[in-house]
Amino acid sequence: MPLLEVRGLRTYFATREGDVKAVDDVSFSVERGRTLGIVGESGCGKSVTALSIMGLIPKPPARIVSGSIQFDGKELTQLREAELEKLRGRDIAMIFQDPMTSLNPTLTIGTQITETLRRHLGMSAREADRRAVELLEEVRIPRANERLKDYPHRYSGGMRQRVMIAIALSCNPKLLIADEPTTALDVTVQAGVLDLLEELREEHQMAMIVITHDMGVVAEAADDVVVMYAGQIVEQASSLELFDRPEHPYTEALLGALPSLEGERGREERLASIPGRPPDLLDPPAACLFAPRCPFAGLNDYCSVEAPELRELRPGHWVRSAHPASERAAVAV
Amino acid sequence: MVVNPQQEELRELVLTRTGGGVDAGAPIRQTSLWRDAWYRYRANRAAVIAGGLFLLLVVYVVFAPILSPYDPYAVDFSQAYQPISWSHPLGTDQYGRDLFTRTALGGRISIGIGFAATIAITGIGILYGSISGFVGGRLDNGMMRFLDALYGLPYLPFAIIVTQLFQTVNFWVMVIALTIASWFTAARVVRGQIISLKENDYVRAARAVGARWYRILGRHLLPNTLGVLIVFVFLELPGVILGEAFLSFIGLGINPPKASWGSLAQDGRDVYLAHPTMILIPSVAIAWLILCAFFIADGLRDALDPRTRET
Amino acid sequence: MTTFVIRRLLWTIPVLLLVILFTFLMMRQIKGNPFRKTDRAVPAAIQANLDRKFHLDEPWYVQYADYVKGVFSLDLGPSLVLRNQSVNDIVKSHFPVSLELGAYAFLFAIVAGVPLGMLAALRANKLSDYLAMLVANVGFAVPSFLVATLLIYYFAVKWNVGLPTSGWRSWDSKILPSIALGFFPMAYFARLVRGTMLETLQQDYVRTAKAKGLRRRRVVGLHVLRNSLIPVATAAGPLLGAVITGSFIIETIFAIPGIGRYYVSSVSARDYSVTMGLTILYAVIVIVGNLVVDILYGFLDPRTREART
Repeated sequence: MPLLEVRGLRTYFATREGDVKAVDDVSFSVERGRTLGIVGESGCGKSVTALSIMGLIPKPPARIVSGSIQFDGKELTQLREAELEKLRGRDIAMIFQDPMTSLNPTLTIGTQITETLRRHLGMSAREADRRAVELLEEVRIPRANERLKDYPHRYSGGMRQRVMIAIALSCNPKLLIADEPTTALDVTVQAGVLDLLEELREEHQMAMIVITHDMGVVAEAADDVVVMYAGQIVEQASSLELFDRPEHPYTEALLGALPSLEGERGREERLASIPGRPPDLLDPPAACLFAPRCPFAGLNDYCSVEAPELRELRPGHWVRSAHPASERAAVAV
Repeated sequence: MVVNPQQEELRELVLTRTGGGVDAGAPIRQTSLWRDAWYRYRANRAAVIAGGLFLLLVVYVVFAPILSPYDPYAVDFSQAYQPISWSHPLGTDQYGRDLFTRTALGGRISIGIGFAATIAITGIGILYGSISGFVGGRLDNGMMRFLDALYGLPYLPFAIIVTQLFQTVNFWVMVIALTIASWFTAARVVRGQIISLKENDYVRAARAVGARWYRILGRHLLPNTLGVLIVFVFLELPGVILGEAFLSFIGLGINPPKASWGSLAQDGRDVYLAHPTMILIPSVAIAWLILCAFFIADGLRDALDPRTRET
Repeated sequence: MTTFVIRRLLWTIPVLLLVILFTFLMMRQIKGNPFRKTDRAVPAAIQANLDRKFHLDEPWYVQYADYVKGVFSLDLGPSLVLRNQSVNDIVKSHFPVSLELGAYAFLFAIVAGVPLGMLAALRANKLSDYLAMLVANVGFAVPSFLVATLLIYYFAVKWNVGLPTSGWRSWDSKILPSIALGFFPMAYFARLVRGTMLETLQQDYVRTAKAKGLRRRRVVGLHVLRNSLIPVATAAGPLLGAVITGSFIIETIFAIPGIGRYYVSSVSARDYSVTMGLTILYAVIVIVGNLVVDILYGFLDPRTREART
């Protein structure tokens, strides 16, 4: 049984003009010990998906309309807040995008680590401090002992992100959700953080969900990938499959947008960006949401009329498109 | 709100090229940004209501004394303490004077002092703040230290002292006193704005082209502080009006029989145990004005700089 | 940290001198020579005596230096009107009253205002928020003399609760004036706390705290509150100063023998040395209030501690 199974998740935000369908019928699963990458551009709903799993969506405007989130046998959508609180930080941990603002500036790093330990594992102050030092060492913060008493502003961005990782791992969670863990960091620091995440994940035997807009990160870290667009899943496959044989036009475009140093394109050409903008999630058209920006839409007119279903093109490879790559080659222009 | 000359140019270009409803090549008026602000203001219900109530108050204080059949200074003890009625919408005071008329008259004075002082405060603030912020360096440092020292002066006691410089306390004396006692915040605000705007690229561009300091100040920096200053005026107004009210109440400001909201409260001071309405009425008027001013200021702040919106 | 405190303290001296200079110059403008300008006709011989005693015949800078010396040796000079009292005497017997009144008012403001603001922030946009802010906005806009007179009118007259409305002796005589004086700062705090809390609740680190599964009590009580209260603490200093220096209204209405009332009467009576002395006292209070806040801020926000050294 997979560790996490999300089925038909719909999360809507209530606004004065109607519901914004931030996450619209999303389903995926995460196996123990494996990493799932969720990739897509800003606003596609990947963060909201993660927050929905954690139950951290702001309840007044947002709500989970329907769907199920099964974690380790428990149905998360049915749990009360107090029970979710027990789960968070202990069984499911999350790290966020911007390490500069994700730590409380008026509390010491030590406090911010130990409070989780004491809350979930009932450790005494001294035990917690000791464990905190160990954790800092695990994430390779030098002189961990002294740095416990420091405040966040004494740490660099990369170090703060490591602290976030240390906090997340402190209670040995079964699942770690990393929302854009490297986006706010320098390129040189990014690689280090990703390496660290992978190493620790193996050591702690965790499952991981990495959310990113960067295909490079996906290639580096994910075993399986889910591509999201405008609140929906448009492609789902193992990482190798996806990079080897991408099907959805959007995925292809994302991969094409990667700068490459060598090859035919070399450094001369401009980065290929995807023209147009994502649709308004307030009142999405009842057609393919990607059609306006799709280079293949209009080959048959169904794209702007009918929404394609998510179908299994090959075992384990799902696509939501009327024009997946393998079917295109067959059509003679 | 930042009026960026390059942005304006770009807007013009885009609109003329795409023929956005304007004759190609015809210049777009600068008012487009202000109209945006106006729309944003209108969207804020509280601010609009407050604005309406404020205007209502102003209309009242301006017209009621003109239209009223009563002499606000005539004493007629037979009419003392009349209850609220159609002929006396707010009743009468212990001297038989119609309170509806007197409150309006008092409003003229109080609001007048309020605006006059606030404008004076803003003016001095602009002068001091722009010199300090624009020149920078040691002059700025010195001017700010001086300002810090002035912050040590207690507001009301200082205003009282200033009023004592003059033979009698009248409208203009109050304006001067309240201005002198509280111009510091304006200077700080203006200086802060000037300093943050100074670093903008378009200012550097202007300098690079050789624009003189007065052009930079007058054409680029000050117009962009306008938004903040408008909000500031409405935030400062309550403090000044309360200042006048307090001083007049204890007898060190405008004194009866001259009407100001504070002096009306002073009228009511000796008799409030039996007739609390006499203090109540000017207090409600003051509170009305203050609340309106705050909601207007909030609305203006959001309209002129939507980034500071609170969620 | 200590260097910061010391430096701040040293800065108050020139500030104080400047304040004294200002008040002194102003007072000179007013008084010129009070004994010649007052309506009371004073015989020439006595006039000369008074001149010498108050140094009124010396050049202004000598008077000023004299006065400064006096201030720093804590001698504020004699009262010009109350012949047998010095300004010091007045301060000694009446300042503690005003201080106590101000302290109680402030206490009320914090105890009532902060929780009100918290309630409003935590139940933002719901009924309790609107009600709380209604109270706060009214308290903010309504002049204190109305609050005072209404309190007296209802509690002492209409409902006859038996709370004394004048004097400052028994403990129950202190209740109404403290509430009256503390009403405005209470409203101020409520609004401020609501604002800062709302802002803090949006911060990323609050989201992190929730994601760690910390109990709501702790998230709000520690993470949110500590950060929200920093701006409140910074506002508290000047506010306390404003409360104490603005207490004369309340003192007048409730017949409380504090320096506020003396201040007002000294102005009316043209007792310039009392006025001057009390103004300087007020200035000291305001300066001290600002100073305390600056220091407090250094303690509360760890980021500024290092920046200061």
